[in-house]
Amino acid sequence: MSQLEHKTFEQKINRRDLIKLFGASVVAASGIFGASEKAFAKNAPNVVVLGGGVGGSSFAKYLRFANPDVKITLIEKHPEYITCFRSNDVIVGMHTLDELTFNHQVLQSKYKVNVLIDEVTGADFSKKTVKTAKGETLAYDKLVVSPGIDFKFADTEGFDAEVAAGKFPHAYKAGAKTLELRKQLINLPKGGTAIIAPPENPYRCPPGPYERASLFADYLKVHNPTAKLLVLDPKDRFTKDGPFKKAWERLYGFKTDNAMIEWVSGSEGGKVNRLDTKNMTVETDSGNHKADLINLIPNQRAGKLAQNLGLTNNSGWCPVDRNSMESLLHKEVYVLGDSTIADAMPKSGYSANSQAKVCAQAVSDTLQGNQLGKAVYANVCFSLAGENYGVSISAIYEVRDGLIQPKGGSAGVSPITDKAGLPILEATYQKNWQRNFVKDVFS
Amino acid sequence: MNHRIIYGFLAVSAMNSAMAENINPIAKGQAMAWQCAPCHGTNGQEFEESMPPIAAMPAEQFTKAMLDFRQGDRPATIMDRVAKGFTDEEIKAMASWFELQPKKQWVDTSLEEAQLSLDATRGQK
Ligand SMILES: Cc1cc2nc3c(=O)[nH]c(=O)nc-3n(C[C@H](O)[C@H](O)[C@H](O)COP(=O)(O)OP(=O)(O)OC[C@H]3O[C@@H](n4cnc5c(N)ncnc54)[C@H](O)[C@@H]3O)c2cc1C
Ligand code: HEC
Repeated sequence: MSQLEHKTFEQKINRRDLIKLFGASVVAASGIFGASEKAFAKNAPNVVVLGGGVGGSSFAKYLRFANPDVKITLIEKHPEYITCFRSNDVIVGMHTLDELTFNHQVLQSKYKVNVLIDEVTGADFSKKTVKTAKGETLAYDKLVVSPGIDFKFADTEGFDAEVAAGKFPHAYKAGAKTLELRKQLINLPKGGTAIIAPPENPYRCPPGPYERASLFADYLKVHNPTAKLLVLDPKDRFTKDGPFKKAWERLYGFKTDNAMIEWVSGSEGGKVNRLDTKNMTVETDSGNHKADLINLIPNQRAGKLAQNLGLTNNSGWCPVDRNSMESLLHKEVYVLGDSTIADAMPKSGYSANSQAKVCAQAVSDTLQGNQLGKAVYANVCFSLAGENYGVSISAIYEVRDGLIQPKGGSAGVSPITDKAGLPILEATYQKNWQRNFVKDVFS
Repeated sequence: MNHRIIYGFLAVSAMNSAMAENINPIAKGQAMAWQCAPCHGTNGQEFEESMPPIAAMPAEQFTKAMLDFRQGDRPATIMDRVAKGFTDEEIKAMASWFELQPKKQWVDTSLEEAQLSLDATRGQK
């Protein structure tokens, strides 16, 4: 809304502003902006997509590629989507949240997807319908669910959703809390201590907490050089830890007396058991740590919607058929992205997009009565270890022995070399990737 | 209107021919090629960024690039790893698919254009 407040009456209000004011469904329903006028055949199959994040939006677009004639409806509770990718950069002021904000307008106009801004409240798998908060009941032939993640606050004593909504933002969904964490970093007292506590596996964006730690250090090095950053980890290893630690040595004096970052592993007692909000202290297996900023990233499970619909098993995540992403618990229902059990594939935006494409082809083939092809997936995660220092992890995947596993010799991380040009190039590609990626998802 | 009908018709005939033998190299190439889009743009059609476009690349040039990456004969930040995920045959299938993509930004390409450039070739075989 804040943008609108700066506008004058003379100024044109664009669609973005309208959506902010009224919500996308109202704007779309008005017809002013030429929302879908394509007439679908009466008996065209109905595919309903729940969640318009990375998985859901990519799916809707690529199902249209695979099948020009199917009806596609996407239900998303927020009129705008703020990407988590690059939100760590926002915390340190490399750019703004506005640059990470997207909507579903092109899905409607170019791909003829019927977008409803509404919250899904339930489904009846026997009647093949879903229900929404605004009281709609929609029938589907195929249902696709990509609801992201939910947090297990109860794993840490003293932590809950309310505490996280206040002074202890996890900032693991991008938005207002990303900015709250930024404020806390800027206000860190000179020579103060910040704590980042990554979660247990599995969780969304495995390199996310370490990229955040790197960028905190990058920021503090310039603005608060006597401050310290403590990473309290329940794990002994983390993704890309080789390249990350090398970068920390090169950039932040890691493992020296003047280290800006200290990393405490699980076996060294890094696991945080309790948060004492009053005394700004965390209790770990190895003792108490007092700090001026505490960023606890909670353990995770499949998005609430997936839990409510009964798509999770006792691991807290959704088991799926590896070649199609169809739920193993409910026929004709498919699950994508962070919520799924995808074996070697990490929970990333790239993975969600990759799975969406495999699923779009599978749904289309099934509707046409075609045999399913063999699934090929991909994931690449670029992270910043410093503003101009990129590191990456990547793999192409196939299904072997019923599991999603790296294909050929494709799995690997950035090599550690003496060539300074390599991490600089990878930092360029990290930024490039985000711009290309959102286009592949939303336009 | 016209466009839409043609688009629908060609898509259906393409589906049927793909169905006939299941391993149509173009259809197979497409599923793999989609996986490259986060970096190279939808259908390889990102011409304005630092990662190179691969839409409309001659199949021979594409194949040589991929084989060189895979063998470590061409310097790379990421493609050496990506290329190791694909067999010769898979690289060939992607090469024929990318060659057919229009040489322009994806945002300026209509769905009909994209479909037609593919179907023109599919229909002939
Ligand atoms: C700090 C950080 C950095 C990251 N960096 C990267 C990166 O560099 N590269 C990368 O690939 N990934 C990155 N990720 C991970 C990436 O953001 C996620 O993996 C990705 O968003 C998963 O997609 P998804 O579709 O599963 O969920 P989401 O994108 O979260 O989408 C879920 C959608 O469902 C909607 N929804 C949920 N419930 C309902 C309901 N009941 N009704 C209607 N709508 C509903 C939500 O509003 C949301 O829009 C990062 C994550 C974080 C936290
Ligand atoms: C993570 C990003 C990323 C992914 C994923 C990716 N590429 Fe690339 N590609 C690059 C970059 C960066 C280069 C430049 C070489 C390098 O640094 O590795 C490149 C170069 C290429 C080239 C050479 C282009 C030229 O002009 O000579 C080809 C061909 C290519 N990629 C094909 C593919 C194919 C096919 C896929 C999917 C199977 C793919 N790429 C997936 C980033 C990517």
